[in-house]
Formats: sequence, C-alpha cells, structure tokens
Amino acid sequence: MEEFFQQLTNGLAVGGIYALIALGYTMVYGVLKLINFAHGDLFTIGSYLGLTLLTSLSLTDRLAPAAGVLVLAVMVMGLVAVVGALLERVAYRPLRQSPRLSAVVSALGASIFFSNALMLIYGARFQVYPQGILPKVAVNIFGLYVPLVRILILAASVVMMLALYFFIQKTRIGTAIRAAAIDQDAARLMGIDVDRVILFVFLIGPALGGVAGLMVGLHYGQINFTMGWVYGLKAFTAAILGGIGNIPGAMVGGILLGVIEALGAAYLSIAWKDAIAFGVLIIILIVRPTGLLGERVAEKV
Amino acid sequence: MKRVFIALMALCLLAGVPTLAAADSVKIGLMGPMTGPWASEGQEMKQVLDLLAEDLNAKRGLLGKTVEVVSEDDGGDPRTAALAAQRLATQGIVAVIGTYGSSVTEATQNIYDESKIIQIANGSTAIRLTEKGLKYFFRTCPRDDEQGRVAVQTIQKLGFKKVAILHDNTTYAKGLADEAKGLLEKEGVEIVFYDALTPGERDYTAILTKMKGASPDVVFFTGYYPEAGLLLRQKKEMNWPVPFIGGDATNNPDLVKIAGKDAAEGFYFLSAPLPKDLPTPEAKAFLAEFKKKYGNEPASIYAVLAGDGFRVISAAIEAVKSTDPDALADYLHNKMKDFPGLTGTLSFNEKGDRVGEVYRVYKVDADGNFILQP
Amino acid sequence: MMEKRTLTYLVLGAVLALCPLVLNPYWTDVLNNIGLYAALGLSLNLIVGHAGLFNLGHAAFYAVGAYTAAILNTMFHIPVLALLPLCALTAGIFALLVAKPIIHLRGDYLCIVTIGVGEIVRIALINNIFGITGGANGIFGISRPNLFGLVIRKPHEFFYLIWFFVAATAFFFHRLENSRFGRALNYLREDETAAEGSGIDTAHYKLMAFVIGAAWAGMVGNLYAAKMTIISPESFSFWESVLMFTLIILGGSGSIPGVLLGAFLVIGLPEVFRGFTNARMMVFGAAMIAMMIFRTGGILPAKPRRYILPGREEGQGGAA
Repeated sequence: MEEFFQQLTNGLAVGGIYALIALGYTMVYGVLKLINFAHGDLFTIGSYLGLTLLTSLSLTDRLAPAAGVLVLAVMVMGLVAVVGALLERVAYRPLRQSPRLSAVVSALGASIFFSNALMLIYGARFQVYPQGILPKVAVNIFGLYVPLVRILILAASVVMMLALYFFIQKTRIGTAIRAAAIDQDAARLMGIDVDRVILFVFLIGPALGGVAGLMVGLHYGQINFTMGWVYGLKAFTAAILGGIGNIPGAMVGGILLGVIEALGAAYLSIAWKDAIAFGVLIIILIVRPTGLLGERVAEKV
Repeated sequence: MKRVFIALMALCLLAGVPTLAAADSVKIGLMGPMTGPWASEGQEMKQVLDLLAEDLNAKRGLLGKTVEVVSEDDGGDPRTAALAAQRLATQGIVAVIGTYGSSVTEATQNIYDESKIIQIANGSTAIRLTEKGLKYFFRTCPRDDEQGRVAVQTIQKLGFKKVAILHDNTTYAKGLADEAKGLLEKEGVEIVFYDALTPGERDYTAILTKMKGASPDVVFFTGYYPEAGLLLRQKKEMNWPVPFIGGDATNNPDLVKIAGKDAAEGFYFLSAPLPKDLPTPEAKAFLAEFKKKYGNEPASIYAVLAGDGFRVISAAIEAVKSTDPDALADYLHNKMKDFPGLTGTLSFNEKGDRVGEVYRVYKVDADGNFILQP
Repeated sequence: MMEKRTLTYLVLGAVLALCPLVLNPYWTDVLNNIGLYAALGLSLNLIVGHAGLFNLGHAAFYAVGAYTAAILNTMFHIPVLALLPLCALTAGIFALLVAKPIIHLRGDYLCIVTIGVGEIVRIALINNIFGITGGANGIFGISRPNLFGLVIRKPHEFFYLIWFFVAATAFFFHRLENSRFGRALNYLREDETAAEGSGIDTAHYKLMAFVIGAAWAGMVGNLYAAKMTIISPESFSFWESVLMFTLIILGGSGSIPGVLLGAFLVIGLPEVFRGFTNARMMVFGAAMIAMMIFRTGGILPAKPRRYILPGREEGQGGAA
C-alpha cells in the first residue's frame, strides 16, 4: 500500500508538468482550433533560455534562491511569450483563413525548425542545469517520502492553472478570449479585436510552456533539444483526455495521465507504460467522445 | 508543377556530377548521426575524423595523395541511413567508418557489401552483424556477448546475489541485457527484476520505486548515459543506496554532469579503456591534439572508436599500397596484428570482430572522475 | 484541356522512367524512397483528403503490412511479392478492428486516437509481441523480390518495381475518386449532416475509406520490407505518420498530382539539403512553413468537382 501511494505521488509530479504544458495547448486550440505541434518546442526553448539566464546572470547567487528562481521564471515566461507571438505572426497568421490542416503542417515545420535551431545554437550534447538551486529536502507525509521539489512543482502548476482560470473567467480580455473561442466572426462584430485576442493567447500559452521547461530543467537537471517532441505529445494527449479547449480539463487530463503512467508502470509493465496510457485514453474517448470534462468550444462545422 | 519538376531534376543532376571528379585524393567515408537524438555522437565522430585526417595530411597523406573525409548524416534512422550509404557509395570512397546504432548499421551493410566498400562500424555491438559472413564488414567496438560476459564476471566478483536488470528496448541495450541475464541465470544468480524503460523521458521515479520493491543487491542498467544519469540522480533523491553498474553506453562525462557528483559516486561501468588510461604515446598525443583543437576532451568512447577505425584503414592502405577492397579486407582479417589503437591493441578475426580483451571496469570517484578498477 | 493535362503527365512519366539511366544509384534510391512515400501518401489521401478523417497513425498499417511480409517470408519462405495481397488483407482487417469503435470520433479526437494506435503498435513491436516480431532488433534476412526469375536488388531495378506500383496506385485511386464511393466521401467531408440526410451511411463510408487506405499502406509495407531486407520498429515511428500526413497537406489534400509532388518535396528536399550538413533539418522546417504560407491550400490543390449540365457548355457543379 505504501508503494501505491509512493507511485501516486510520482505520477502527480509528472502529471503536474504535463498539465502545465497542456494548458498552453488547450488555450491555443480553444481560440484557433489549431493543434500547435510547436508547443513542445516552445517548452524546450524555455528550458534552454532558463539555463542560459541562470548561468550568465547568476541570479540565484545575487538574490535569495527563492527570489532568484521567481525572477528567472518571469524572465523565461516573458522571452518565450515573445517567441510564441513571433511564431504566430510568421507561421500561423498567414494561414488563418486557409484549411485547418495547413496550419498543422506549418506548426510541424516550426517544430522541426525550433528543435534543430536549438541544436545548432547550443550543440547536440545534453545540457545540464547547475545543481543545488532548489532545496533537496524531502518531506515525510504519513510515512511517505516525497521530495519538496515535487510538491512545489505540483503546487506551482495548480496555482498557475487557477490564475489562468480566473483570468479567463473574470477579466475583460479573458471574456474576449472566450468570445473569440466561441465564434470569431461574432466576436469581431461585437467590437472585439480578435487579432489582439489571438496575440494574447500566443503570449500566455507559450509563457506557460516555457515556465514548465524551466521547471523541468531545475528539477530533473538534464535537458536536450529533442525533448519537446515527447513532452508535447504527452501534453496533447492530456489536453484531449480532459477535453480540449477546456482549462480545468487540461489540468485534470495532465495529472490523470501522469498517474496512469506511474501506476501502469508499477502494476502492469514498464516497457508497455506508454501503450497502457494510450489504451486508457482510447477507452475513455470511446465512452466519452469529447474527453472527460467535455470540450467548451464547438468545432467549426 | 513542371517548373518545380525541372528544378528538382536539375538539382539531381548537379548533385550527381561531383562524383565524376578526378580521384587525386583517397576518400574515406563517415556515416554518423549528425541530426536527431544521437547527433552529439555523430558530430563528435566527425570531429575526431577531421582531426585525424588533418594530421595524416600534414604528415604524409596516403599513397602520396591527400586523405579526404566525406561525411553523411544517417539521422540515426535505418531509412535515412540506407540513403546515406547509397550516396557515399557513389562518391568513390575506399572505406566507410560508422555507424553508431546497430539496426542503423544493419540497414547499410548490404549496400556497402555489394559496392565492395570496407565498412568499419564504431558503435554497433549487436552480435548478428558479424555473423552473416560479410567479407568487407569490420568493427572496432566489441560485441554484446563479450560485454555480457565481463558484466557477469564483475557482478560475481563484487559478490552480488540478487540482480535487477534494466534496459531501454534499443537493439543494443536489449541485446546486452539478454546476454547478461542468460549468463547470470546459468551461474545461479537470482534475477529479481527485468524490464525496460522508455528512453528520452525525464522522470524515472516510478521505475525506481518498483525496482526498489524487488530489493536487488545491484542494478545492471544496459542503456545509455542520459537515462543512467537521471536514474542515479533520482535514486539519490529517493535515498536508495543500491549500487548501479552500467554498460559501455554509460561511459560519457556528461553522465556525471547529469547525475551530479554525489549521486554518480560509486557507479560502476564497463568500457573499452579510455584514452587517458592508455600508456601509448598515440593515445596521449591524440587527446592533447583533440583538446587543443576543440577545447575539450572527446566525450564519447564511440567517437574515439571511430577514430580507431580511421587509423586502422589508413594503416591498411599504406601496408598494401593500394585501395583494392579485397587486398584491404585480406590485410585486416589476416595480416594486421596488435595495431596500436587509441583504445588498445587492435586485431580482427575472420568475422571482422575485434579480438582480445577490450573491456575494463571503471568506477566513478567522489570528484566525478572515472577510475580504472584493477 | 483534359488532353493537354494527360499529355503533360505522360511526358513527366516518360522523363521519370528514364531517370535511372542517367542518375547514379544514390539519386535513384532517393526516387525509390519518394515512390514509397508517394504510394503511402496516396493511400492516406483517401482517408485524410477525401474522407476528411484526421489520421496521424498511418504508420501502424504500414507496419502491419511490412511485418506480415517479413514474418511470412523469413519463416515460411514465401516470395515477398506473392505476399502482397495478404499484406493488404492483414492491414485492412487490423484497420477494421481498430477503426470500428473510434470512427465516430470527431476531428482532433480521432487524431489523437490514431496517434495512440500507431504508438501502441510500435511499442508492441518493440516488446516482441507474440514472440514473432523480433523486438527492437526487428526482422532481418528478408529475401529479395523475384519477378519472373529476375532478382531485384539494385536501386534502379527497384525503381521500376516501386514506380510501377505507384502508377497502379495512382490509377486505382483516380478511379475510386471519380466513383460513387469517392463522391460520397467528398460529400460527407464537406457536410456530414447533409450527407447523412441524403441517405449516405456516413459511418460505413468512413470506415471503408479507412480500411482501403490502410490495406494499401500494408502493400507499401511489403515493398519496403522487400527493399530494405531488414525492418525494425523505429522505421514505423510517429514521425513516419507525420511525414505522410505532411506530404499530403503540402502537396494538396485530395489531389493525386498534389500528393505525388508532396512526396517529392517532403522526402526529396532533406536529401537536396544535405549540403547544409547539420542545419539541413532546420532549413527543411523553415521550407515547410514557407511553402505552406506561399500556397495555403497546398501546392497543387484539388479542383472542385465540375459537372457539365445538359444544355450548357460548362456548368457550375451541383452538390459537390
């Protein structure tokens, strides 16, 4: 039983990262109905930028570690948001009126471009974050041994999810995003600047992906230019699992996917772990064709 | 459509023409993963070969001509590799060095064999590659069965009774894991855990937790260094003091960087001797020059093994004074004995496998250095 | 007008047929790869381009065909090409079993499920399912195809085998496109509700498109196994599905010349870009975006169906 709970916490930590990346997927999808396959690579860019800033500015030495990491996170979010907005401007905006799948191919091209550009800039070797920035303390919860960092990661994802949720629900621009998600033309007629809304979405989504990349770098240490592909696919799965376009759905889907993977590895087979996760996803979709929480947006008919 | 097609055709022709250029140089091919997940390996292989060729040209060249390294990207994928091989085969190369992955090499073996080009693989350890009786195929890396044998010896010597084996479902790692498992079972050692992780992920705590439940004395991980580093790091975070032994794919200084010195300390791995542990002047000179040119020592032993492939073939060309593939193959198979390589002495048997004891056991010390075990 | 186009294709076909005579084995082999992906693209085009089903797991069916050929050839020594119909059958049946429960899923949900199927197949192959797939090693020693006593081994020999198959594929899908079946698929792609209202059994037609496309991919798998003589799971990764999908959209979804051109671009360009060495895939990624922006509907998009109405020279199409 102890092992079960241990595996559950393992899964929650992994799921927290998936959820954070899935949020960006879901936001972009909600407004543009575009599966942004380059999102995983924006995540990777976040972790590489984080490493560069961390080593070149030595923020964590000048400030207290906690403050340093916070400043770092804000900087990474800002930079990746700019990259995201540029991506939208260059690769997606010209395709807004064309068939949906054309933009998907453009996104795939962007994904190839980004990962190989990272390889050329940083080299093909694995990059490693300096150690000892995050406290290596473990907490004992009812006899369970949980590193503090994992709790922090999960907490950070939940906080960001809630912040995003209230931002979308309560603010003016959030309302505009929701309106554009339902019907872009109607939103335009109501005086909403849809281009601005989309720009906003492409600032927030990539920022969340970038900060997830930073968290992965800080926690796991090892980063690589190809890692966005795997994480992106997992996050996309998570977003669909919860119901794409649905913000709480991305959170639920991400965490659930992490837990399914951990428990599948623990009790069925490690080698079949990903197959088990996809199997569960397929069964869930057969039973609930629009994901667990359902989608909040109507697909264009 | 027509215009595009004509443009494509023109490109095809253009790319076809250079192969007709005069042969005033001896061309050695290099096939390695320059893009894709193993790009760091391929790019370092190229660095090593470029350096060696430059060196050779500065000294005396080959047969009075200069040596030219023609490199192609195999992307670490069999289909791309087959294309790379076709492309190299049309460029008048005498021999090709490479490549890294066993299944990638396998996809190209027939192409080189049919074109009578000597192939010297540097990282493909799967047993069956040399069991086909291909005349022109050699490799400077040892085979999985040899490594399996040394791994089992080491495990027994260190007195471990319950072993967990973890691989990553690549041809290489699975082959080594199977080899070791068979031998250990024969020796009466208990295998308490045998499974595969998915390479390329970041979080292996679920696997470590499960493995811990099987309470092994030692974990033998046959996969690659990025995963090994993460496993060591996360094992440390879990406070699980079990010792780890790795196969030769974990031999990379980046392992220590990823794991951190405190987590990597005490990690055993098998490997061909590192250049720094070879007393030969060749190895020392090579290391010094590599460092001078690229600013760091070579990270991957496979890149160094590619260098040995290059040195072996250039020595063979000089010895037989021709680039005739049959004469070269004959020389490599039968006449070359104890060539002073960067990774120890080299000879090949009739299958094209490297002969002799290659593997050593290394242990990581508290400062993250790789210490040769007696 | 029609005749002029036919003539163009004939000339292009003749030029292509002469290529192996002037090209070296490498470029011939590049054309062989293009041919394989062209055939794969045409088979996927029925599913994506005509039925409008977002399938990103086509490599699974390709793999089933390739492994069927490899296993039966190495175990029972049945000539590879004789296994073509069987490869189509196994891939088709597999697609039928897989697609039946999921075919009603909409757009992107279907997309992730097909990705899932592709990944499950790949993982099953790696884990040596039923003990016959050889695990990560794959299967080696597949015999060379033998056509009327002629053993096919060199790239220029494969060229004619593969491109003959591509021509047959193009002809088959061209006929299918203009059949009642093809028109029904287009109808349900454009407006599923209206199609259903007009008495088209949408689920049945979608399923049929899926099965036919998959069966055809199974046959390409057979050719691939015969060409490589060794197959392993990494040749059937998600990335392969992505390539097939990309070439369709890039070339022009639903258009046979478009898909053929797409295969030339997606498989040929990375080879042309070899001069960029390590940067070649980055240049390729940028080229993908550029081509998509330049021709948002694909380079040679399908023309809308046109019908000559009686009494007029050239009429507007009725119900597409």
